[in-house]
Amino acid sequence: MSAISVRNLVKKFGNLTAVDGISFDVKKGEIFGFLGPNGAGKTTTINILVTLMRPTSGEAYVAGYNVVEDPVRVREKIGIVFQDPSVDRNLTGWENLYIHGLIYGLKGEELRRRVEESLEFAELTKFRDVEVKNYSGGMIRRLEIARGLMHKPEILFLDEPTLGLDPQTRAKIWEYVERLREEAGVTVFLTTHYIEEAERLCDRVAIIDHGKIVAIGSPDELKQEIGGDVIYIRVGDHSSAARLLEGLQNNGMIISHRELNGVLALSVNNASKVIPTVFEAASMMGIRIEEIKYTQPSLSDVFLHYTGREIRDEEADWREGIRMRHRMR
Amino acid sequence: MNERNIVYAMLYRQLRRYFRARSRVLGTIINPLMFFLFLGMGFSASMRGMSAVIGIDYLAFLAPGIAVMTAFSSSFIGGISVIWDKEFGFLKEVLVAPASRTYAILGRALGDSITSVIQSFLIVILMYAIVPSLKVEGLLFALGSCFITSLMFNSLGIAIASKIRSPEGFQLIANILIFPLIFLSGAFYPINNLPAVVKPIFYINPLTYSVDLTRYFMTGISSLPIYVSLSVLLLLTAVFTFLSARVFNKSTLD
Repeated sequence: MSAISVRNLVKKFGNLTAVDGISFDVKKGEIFGFLGPNGAGKTTTINILVTLMRPTSGEAYVAGYNVVEDPVRVREKIGIVFQDPSVDRNLTGWENLYIHGLIYGLKGEELRRRVEESLEFAELTKFRDVEVKNYSGGMIRRLEIARGLMHKPEILFLDEPTLGLDPQTRAKIWEYVERLREEAGVTVFLTTHYIEEAERLCDRVAIIDHGKIVAIGSPDELKQEIGGDVIYIRVGDHSSAARLLEGLQNNGMIISHRELNGVLALSVNNASKVIPTVFEAASMMGIRIEEIKYTQPSLSDVFLHYTGREIRDEEADWREGIRMRHRMR
Repeated sequence: MNERNIVYAMLYRQLRRYFRARSRVLGTIINPLMFFLFLGMGFSASMRGMSAVIGIDYLAFLAPGIAVMTAFSSSFIGGISVIWDKEFGFLKEVLVAPASRTYAILGRALGDSITSVIQSFLIVILMYAIVPSLKVEGLLFALGSCFITSLMFNSLGIAIASKIRSPEGFQLIANILIFPLIFLSGAFYPINNLPAVVKPIFYINPLTYSVDLTRYFMTGISSLPIYVSLSVLLLLTAVFTFLSARVFNKSTLD
């Protein structure tokens, strides 16, 4: 049985369709990621799965229970770390955990022991009696993850677990999530718009865009699906790009291609062998190549491939996205 | 399943927060205390004839009104914490818990009411020290009456706050409601001698029954039979508690 099973899930807010008929399954014990830009429908999906929103249509089962018909059963089986903090800032870390344990039916010695364990897991034992409003963002996130695990849920939901955290803290949170898999054996459903996060943590990733799942699989599978390397060639204008593409297509080395604003992106199996033929063809046709580079595929390319956009900034145009990445390397 | 746990959890939380915010303790006492001292001493000194009409010293007459005013305003305003919880996210922690929301809201109302009664207790003790004629044997019953009042108005506050998004909006409603309700409750003057046209306004005000019941316990005089006041209060408390649970039960994020 799957930990999470979703069929044709739809959620509309007035005219806006936030989730547009998605279906997927999450296996027990895996770390499953929803990767997509802001506004893609990730948080809405989580809110439906954790019973805080009702779907417009479709079905969702979490830990075997229908989220609409059996919300309390679902709530018993899950732990959640929301995108925004949901701790009581005026209480200490200890008090927040103590209240959480009470709410989830723990009592007496057992409750106190779990509070201590959770503080230890979050590495916050030293700060147990400090009010949460004095915690840093990373400390709050650690406290919330420990709290979400305190009642030993079958499935842990993490909505953008490292949003707004500095790189060091982010790496720390990643270590936590990895420890979950090893120690707790809990199923994790997380959403993120950080490529590195999905790539590092997830056993399987669903790429979501405009409320639809455009691709699903392990990071490796997804990368293989779009082919091997990607070559980006800037020739300046659309017609030169089209001509160049035509000249290259009959050599049978191009798996797929995309062109925007005079930048040609080619998926190929072995870029270092294809690049010389690109230069040959270009010089034969008298096309000047302004810029050329190739990348081993990353999830970022997978995203680009399926959505035609960079994930980092959905407004920036495609070429701008390539430039940005160029500068970053 | 774990109803008792969730009630206790929320109770624990409200009390913890209360004792941590000590400035709030003082803040909500100062207003009624000023009313008691400045209004009460002024009236009792300059209108000696009034004591003859109401049968007791004006300060003794006013004391129960002040006790109820304290319980009422602090408990009603306590409802605002639901809005802060929405804003700071803690509400989600409660909404996704596998526990009864009805009991969660009950625990919360109990916690807030206990803190309101603590406020009332502090001011009542002061008033007993100032006015020796107040009946010591009625003190605990008076606090009980303040507790029912708090539970009633905290539930109403929670029900209203659950429907409102901004703290400012709730503050506005509180400002519009609190003073008229207090002035039209018989807290400051007896309602027996009022013109018949005005009286119904007092009788539809729940606070009238709180003041009258509390006054009976603290001074021995009352305008209405105590069983009437008590029944009205218990009935309204049940209604408002039910209402707040109902509103809260329906809370989702959309």
